[in-house]
Amino acid sequence: MEAAAISASHVHDDHHHGPPPANRSSRVEPALLGMLLFIISEIMVFGAFFTAYFFIRVVADEGTWFPVDGKDLPKLIAGVNTAILISSSFTLHWAENALKLGNRRAFRAGMVATFLLGATFLFVQINEYVHIGFSPQDHAYGTVFYGLTGLHGAHVTIGLVLLGMVTIRAFRGHFSAEEHRGVEVPGIYWHFVDVMWIVVYTTVYIL
Amino acid sequence: MSVKLRNPGWYRAGLYVVLAAVLAFGLSWAVRAAYGHDTYAHFLDAESIVIIGMIALPLAFLVGIGCFDYWFYWASGRPTRPEDHSGHGAHSWRDYFRPNTDHKVIGIQYTVTSFFFLFVGGLMAMLMRAELAQPGRQFVDASTFNGLFSVHASVLIFLFIIPVFAGLANFVLPLMIGAPDMGSFASGWTAYAPLSTTAPDGQVFFTIGVQFAGASSIATALNFLVTIITMRAPGMSFFRMPLLAWANFSTSLLVVIATPFIAASQFFVLLDWALGFNFFNAAKGGDVLMYQHVFWFYSHPAVYIMMLPGFGIISEVLAVKARKPIFGYRMMAFSLLAIVVLGFTVWAHHMFVSGMQAWIRIPMMVTTAIIAVPTGIKIFSWLATLWRGVLHLDTPMLFALGFLTMFTLGGISGVMLAMVPLDIHVSDTYFIVAHIHYVLFGGSLFTIFAGVYYWFPKMTGRMYDERLGRIHFWSTLIFFNATFAPMHLIGVQGMPRRVADYADQFAGWNLAISLASFALGLSTLVFAYNMIASWRGGARASANPWRALTLEWQVSSPPPVFNFDQVPTVVGGPYEYGVPGAVHGIFGPAKPAEVKATPAGTHAEPVRE
Amino acid sequence: MVAFGVIASVIGIAIGLAIDWFPVQGSTQGEKIDTFWDVLIICSVPFFVLVVTVVLFAVRDFRMRPGQENLDGPPIHGNTKLEVVWTAVPAMLLVGLCTYAYIVLDDIEKAPAKGPERVVKVTGEQFTWTFEYNEGGKKFKTAQLYVPNGESVKFDVGSKDVIHDFWVPAWRMKIDAVPGITTTYRITPKRLGNYPVVCAELCGLGHAFMRQTAHVLDKAAFDRWVQQQVQRTAGGGAAAGGAAGGGGQSASADAKALFTTGNSAGATACGGCHTLAEAGTTGAVGPNLDQVLKGKDEAFIRESIVDPKAEIAKGFPDAMPTNYGDALSGPELDALVKYLAEVSK
Repeated sequence: MEAAAISASHVHDDHHHGPPPANRSSRVEPALLGMLLFIISEIMVFGAFFTAYFFIRVVADEGTWFPVDGKDLPKLIAGVNTAILISSSFTLHWAENALKLGNRRAFRAGMVATFLLGATFLFVQINEYVHIGFSPQDHAYGTVFYGLTGLHGAHVTIGLVLLGMVTIRAFRGHFSAEEHRGVEVPGIYWHFVDVMWIVVYTTVYIL
Repeated sequence: MSVKLRNPGWYRAGLYVVLAAVLAFGLSWAVRAAYGHDTYAHFLDAESIVIIGMIALPLAFLVGIGCFDYWFYWASGRPTRPEDHSGHGAHSWRDYFRPNTDHKVIGIQYTVTSFFFLFVGGLMAMLMRAELAQPGRQFVDASTFNGLFSVHASVLIFLFIIPVFAGLANFVLPLMIGAPDMGSFASGWTAYAPLSTTAPDGQVFFTIGVQFAGASSIATALNFLVTIITMRAPGMSFFRMPLLAWANFSTSLLVVIATPFIAASQFFVLLDWALGFNFFNAAKGGDVLMYQHVFWFYSHPAVYIMMLPGFGIISEVLAVKARKPIFGYRMMAFSLLAIVVLGFTVWAHHMFVSGMQAWIRIPMMVTTAIIAVPTGIKIFSWLATLWRGVLHLDTPMLFALGFLTMFTLGGISGVMLAMVPLDIHVSDTYFIVAHIHYVLFGGSLFTIFAGVYYWFPKMTGRMYDERLGRIHFWSTLIFFNATFAPMHLIGVQGMPRRVADYADQFAGWNLAISLASFALGLSTLVFAYNMIASWRGGARASANPWRALTLEWQVSSPPPVFNFDQVPTVVGGPYEYGVPGAVHGIFGPAKPAEVKATPAGTHAEPVRE
Repeated sequence: MVAFGVIASVIGIAIGLAIDWFPVQGSTQGEKIDTFWDVLIICSVPFFVLVVTVVLFAVRDFRMRPGQENLDGPPIHGNTKLEVVWTAVPAMLLVGLCTYAYIVLDDIEKAPAKGPERVVKVTGEQFTWTFEYNEGGKKFKTAQLYVPNGESVKFDVGSKDVIHDFWVPAWRMKIDAVPGITTTYRITPKRLGNYPVVCAELCGLGHAFMRQTAHVLDKAAFDRWVQQQVQRTAGGGAAAGGAAGGGGQSASADAKALFTTGNSAGATACGGCHTLAEAGTTGAVGPNLDQVLKGKDEAFIRESIVDPKAEIAKGFPDAMPTNYGDALSGPELDALVKYLAEVSK
């Protein structure tokens, strides 16, 4: 076919040392888009756990939600913990802004504060597990409680690893006012983890 | 040697697996010791070995072989070595057995590995049919039989249909949309070829296998989405994309949204089984039906994950082989999206007799029936595409036409199953077996065959043997129907599925089905021979043997290592057959005047009005 | 082409209606479902014929002929009117079918207009069904299902272990037996006879053999059967067993019959799962009794029947029903133990 004539002029060149630069057909950067789509996927993982929560608490409807066997959820401590985690989102945002304005000192301080706040949250959460007095093996409500908070805890851990790397790199002098994608992408993940916690806290502890 | 151990590849993968084994088992031993367990007695118990082994070792293998290097480099701020293309392209057949970074090589690795599993899954079906040829017990006992049909299904779904579509798309899609390679978002996608060699066996293997298969298919889907959204050639607007790109776009959306649910459902099973959680333990307040809801919320969209890429392939093949534009292109694209949306609203139609709340059955029945509308739009549009075309009835086209008719049957039995009163009687019978095979064999597999024959010249640079291809098609079509059509009847008559033995009244039909299924099995050997022999010694294929307009046919066969020297510019729709002077894409800067000088073809005079 | 399509549709529908699809129609629910099937056939065949006809005629009329290798078809991109038609017509048809399906569903599930309804509690376990009756305050359990003809009966279905599915193909209805919840359906039998009870949900190794029998009796025979069962449970097991078994036969013949077919009101057949040369059975779900019982005393055999979990033969699943202690009467159990001890020596 005549259209093939076009390709006839296209000669295979083995000495070519790389692909031609790809056309950028969207304003969104690939890494950012990938992270956003990945977060959709993550939301669905939580969705499945919330489905379990819904079925066991609402559909099966046996007995009342906590306190079970006299053991209640520590709403107040978890509430304080929630505040800690949310404030870490603000410090992270502050750090990013500082970086964009070129203030490296504030950027580093913000990253350290964010990391410490996140670590505190995780520590309090583990402490809660130790003292809460029931196990996931005891009853389905315990299973759901540990399932949801544990899933979220795993996400906090992953987020902390990412933030930790960003923090270390911040001290090594990486990133700049122009080159801050490496902070933004883990940052989006961290904000997602925070927002998810608000949902978990509301449904599991408060409602 | 130490360089080999430090650089990504098989050697480092081996080393990491050994390290991970030592570390994981050591850790589990230390934790048990810390909690005062009788560590020496339980150190080597099967459960801990299975679970730790299944989780830690594949991960270590993937890290070792270099799947996550890109991420580690990126996260630690070191240069991500985008310029290193030493692992790119295949120069001899041995290169297909190495980790590779070329989307085309990965596509072929994927496709070939998947076909290996087609034969594995097919052999299992043969064994089952041998057992079912007569009532009573002949070759395998009940436990083996249960294992056979479970593994038959999971192998063909997770290791054949889903990855083979991913493989074909991996090869074709970047070429089609004018991208030099798949998206650079995650290099993790090199992972799947070795991953798919971990065939799931047994419940735990299945559970953990699904986690890995799920994770890798999400990674693939993210890659497709990122590639399609951000790397299209200039001028390639969404409505100039070939429908295969649309189909993979829709499929990837489904994967990203639905797959987490099956991962979670298998995670629940694992927690219940290994750690004594109570997700499904009714005695402690768990909910058994919840598993089915979560499972089907993934697994029904999964049916469309196994169908939509096939729709894309058929659109490509039909337009080219009928020499006509796809009828109603926009409706074809929108109906794909409609199926994606509706696909999430129908899951409970698998649960009409499960004892769930009765009222849910009614909305699920309606949505399930309605999903036939966008599917119908596609069928009718394909029929209209054929009308007044110039039909080239070679092997890919024959399989496409076979798909049209067989899939229609599967769709019709699907609508019947959506109707609750009938479903109550036929669910869990051979009627279901017949339906899924008309959809997955007559539907998905026929499109896969069509696609493989269609792109074989592009992938290998050789032509397949047309005569053998036709023999393959006709034997497949005849014996496929002889095998699965009678299952409708014995299902309605009351033969339950998943049984190694059955009442004497079904003996005659089952013998006939078994004989037909053996012939069907033999017909795939024709295909295997054709593929291998043609790849080795077939006639050389020209760049564009089908006179197709889409971009992958505008480069040499097989395509150059980096696809294009220069990214093409898209100046028109992908299926403008019969439009004088129409071109889809041009290489080099756009020169409309020059383009007009190359007519794409002249009208056929209608043969008969 | 239109004529061809119409003729083919008519022939297709005729064949579809002529085929004897269903098993015997044993309930009033079955009538409605079978009619519904006929309507589905009438609606579906024309669609399939349409697709096949268009494909065949396109192949005949528009195939590439020699000399047309470089020709293209006319560039038709679509036709809005046509597209609206093939969206709207199937949609309306489907909505119609759904409405009809809803009416049928409502019809087959609604309670009978008058009178109290018999409730039979059905319990599934690996790999047997147990049926619990409450006849005028008298409660008893059986392993075979008996229902009177023409009276609506509601089944409350449950499970002791995994998910099963309670299905009598002749009655058309089925429902899963789910641990932890009670599921129900109702049927009105309309035909005397014996019909297989089938488990339709994969429940483990013995799934294919989880088969019992549903007996539909006329009202008088059913009442007599109820009387027998009431006596049997009240302690007259020997008398009832004798009456059912026919009295004069030898204990050994009785026990062999018990082994191969189960009892009329008690247990499932041993031979369904076990091989025993003397009885001519070849089941392989459980251990081969010729081998495992060799040299065992009667006490061991008795324990293995009444409490199968006490000792499980190596390599076999814990799959034997635990209801034999209830389901067999005293004399039946004695006879079975004696028989097994003798033939396995």
